[in-house]
Amino acid sequence: MFIEIIDVIISGLINGSVYALMAVGLTLIYGVSKAFNFAYGSFYSLGGYIAFLLFSIPFFNNYFVVLCLAAPVLLIFGFFIEKLLVAPLRKRDDWEVKVMMITLGLALFLDNSYQVVFGARMKSLPSMLEGNFEMGEFILSYQDVMIFIFSIGGILLFRWFLNNTRTGMSVRAVAQNPAGAQIVGIPKDFVFAATFAISTVMVGMGGILLAQKYFITPAGGWDILVKAWVITAFGGMGSIKGGLYAAFIVGMLEAFVGWYFGMTWTLIALFAVLLTTLAVRPQGLMGKWG
Amino acid sequence: MIKVHDLNAYYDDFHVLKNVSLNVGKGEVVVMLGPNGHGKSTVLKSICGLVEKVTGNIIYDGENITGLGSEKLVNKGITYIAENRELFPEMTVLENLKLGAYSQSARPHERENLEKVFTLFPRLADRQKQLASTMSGGEARMLAIARGLMSNADFLAIDEPSLGLQPNLRDEVARIIKEINTQGITVLVVEQNIPQITELADKIYVLEEGMISFQGSKEEALGNDHLKEIFLGM
Amino acid sequence: MENKRITIFLAVIWGVVAILPVFFGSTNFIMHILIMCLIWSVVASCWDLIMGFAGIFSFGQVAFFVIGAYSSAIISARFGVPPIFSVFIAGIITAGIGILVGLPCLKLKGAYIALVTFAVHMILEPVLKGDIGRALGTGGSRGILTIVPMNIFGYTFTSSDPIPYFYLLFLVAVICSVIILMVIKSHWGTAFLALKDAEDFASCLGVSAFKYKLMVFALTSFLTGMIGGFYAHYVGMLSTRMLGIDLFVTLMVILVIGGVGKFPGAIIGAFITIALNEMLSPLGSYRPIILGAMVVILVLVLPDGVTGLFEKIFSTKKRGLTH
Repeated sequence: MFIEIIDVIISGLINGSVYALMAVGLTLIYGVSKAFNFAYGSFYSLGGYIAFLLFSIPFFNNYFVVLCLAAPVLLIFGFFIEKLLVAPLRKRDDWEVKVMMITLGLALFLDNSYQVVFGARMKSLPSMLEGNFEMGEFILSYQDVMIFIFSIGGILLFRWFLNNTRTGMSVRAVAQNPAGAQIVGIPKDFVFAATFAISTVMVGMGGILLAQKYFITPAGGWDILVKAWVITAFGGMGSIKGGLYAAFIVGMLEAFVGWYFGMTWTLIALFAVLLTTLAVRPQGLMGKWG
Repeated sequence: MIKVHDLNAYYDDFHVLKNVSLNVGKGEVVVMLGPNGHGKSTVLKSICGLVEKVTGNIIYDGENITGLGSEKLVNKGITYIAENRELFPEMTVLENLKLGAYSQSARPHERENLEKVFTLFPRLADRQKQLASTMSGGEARMLAIARGLMSNADFLAIDEPSLGLQPNLRDEVARIIKEINTQGITVLVVEQNIPQITELADKIYVLEEGMISFQGSKEEALGNDHLKEIFLGM
Repeated sequence: MENKRITIFLAVIWGVVAILPVFFGSTNFIMHILIMCLIWSVVASCWDLIMGFAGIFSFGQVAFFVIGAYSSAIISARFGVPPIFSVFIAGIITAGIGILVGLPCLKLKGAYIALVTFAVHMILEPVLKGDIGRALGTGGSRGILTIVPMNIFGYTFTSSDPIPYFYLLFLVAVICSVIILMVIKSHWGTAFLALKDAEDFASCLGVSAFKYKLMVFALTSFLTGMIGGFYAHYVGMLSTRMLGIDLFVTLMVILVIGGVGKFPGAIIGAFITIALNEMLSPLGSYRPIILGAMVVILVLVLPDGVTGLFEKIFSTKKRGLTH
């Protein structure tokens, strides 16, 4: 029983770490450009499929290479999607609705393209590291450890970027005060595209990391989108710290509810917690208005 | 330094500025007065690349800069200082200042400008690590001006620096503008009638209903009956 | 579009639709599609009203539709209520749920409202399939397999003779659209415009945001739930498959093609989209890819959909009013 609880906690932590990576990506776009990317789930799957493709080429058969190749591909993809699909809409009225619609169209396009190209059946990636760490009855797979390390690593890398690079500071500036950013000479449009690109990398990486454990399916991104959305709203849209806390809380909550009540109740429990939080704090845990 | 000719500016369909023309010579302090809501801020913002729909000609040191965005103009040495300050609330004073030096032309001079700014605003030096959102009105105003200076600008467009400040701080603001000007920066200030600042003016413009209704020296302004109405009306 | 224009446009659309059975009446298959177009036009118009017009990002439309459908099916089966009445009761039940959902949304903004309303959608499936659902009579994951067919004063509508059904739903759709039109034209309409543009300011002027927002939730869920009921009695069976992402996406495509916030664009959008869907179905799995690409291109090129196109063609002034 004790071991079971430890298992649950660890599972919660590991899932939480990946959720954190993806939630931060979503909250970043919202915080900086107030756009909502409905194709976020499809980008998650994109990461998985890119990795799948790379793995099928004998030369690229290891994770290090795959991650190093996938990241720039996702970055450039995200950048161009923003420039082509989102940026032109900013000047229109009702642009938030239009962005939701265009990204929804994109999601439709991508998900079904995956199905046509890769087939509807699940795909999986090889494990990063085979084997388990065993201590008595307690088993922890190295795969899970690697997932955790890479997720946390990704988040720390992102934090370093935000605080220590010029582009990072400009991202924070645009998020805090777009008018001020313009006054200071920061190219807002570039920042919008860059943040979108970064979030695409983050969620794509999440897709690659989790693909070794769960599978890649053409429509698998929707659950991820909803989860990332719930976490982001719970933590406060636009707040990175909030997103981080929320991700781990949700990871743990999911693990415990799933263990005690069964997996079908996790979604309901999540929404229940979300709704109660929003009732008390309409802006989420650490969100701000505006 | 800046020649504006037949400037028209629009916010969507609203015609804010109508054929505005003005000149700011290099090294001058020029003050623009006028009733609220008649477009004074828009003049400054248009010059600094912050207004979308602009027609006419804005010439800076012989170069036509009409319609260029703020990213390019800050790089050329033209900076706007907003009446709303528009600081970055969750960043420290130091971070705000550093962001002021974001543009390519300002970056190499960041350190020396930081020193200059701290000499000019010793209170800011004391509060380097303080968050911008916790500053008082006067301190925030100083920070906004300081941040503008970090851009290594040759031309500063300052929007109502005395707004909401107590009289003694207004003296401070005037002193700073004079000091900045002495260091070689050309200044175009929009203000209500604040004697300390109009005192500094080499030239005065008055903007009413989006059009220039008066231009001349301080003395000419004082002798003008219509302007007295505006002064009293404020 | 100015109000008078909207009315004329609406009349023209319905006029055209009314005579469609003359051309297609003999083909049951096409009549079936047209009936679905009528049903979706109501759902889409309601979604357009709450999202495009009132500016509330509600994603619960499909959920309300399903709730209405199930409610009417269960009520007519369990309590023997004639379907023509059970659809109204279903509408009222759905309106009640709509208000319950709307209440927490009153204080929320934008994407949060979308999330909460989408949550209703997401939770509905496990609830309908699970124990609570089965107790209520939803048939769990199998769904409801037999539903009392629509029956007015003894005349039973059957799906084998679609023309009467078509005209019944035509009547319902027209009435719904007139209700929506009256809302837009009324002082509600002005209030929504004010709220959408500048909520805080409007509140200062005494426009009660709460009251109007709740009313919009109530009205749109009532109409959607009711038409869901009509759907149930027409199609004869229900399952939770309707809660999949396909329906949601189809509705969104309808709004994109028709034009968001441009009533009666949703109606035109419904007809075009469903027709398009049918025409493209031989393409099999390529169909959604094309639809997705179309949505992307349309949002960029024709942001106000087909209605926007009409506005440009027929507008004498340079800038008309949008609602």
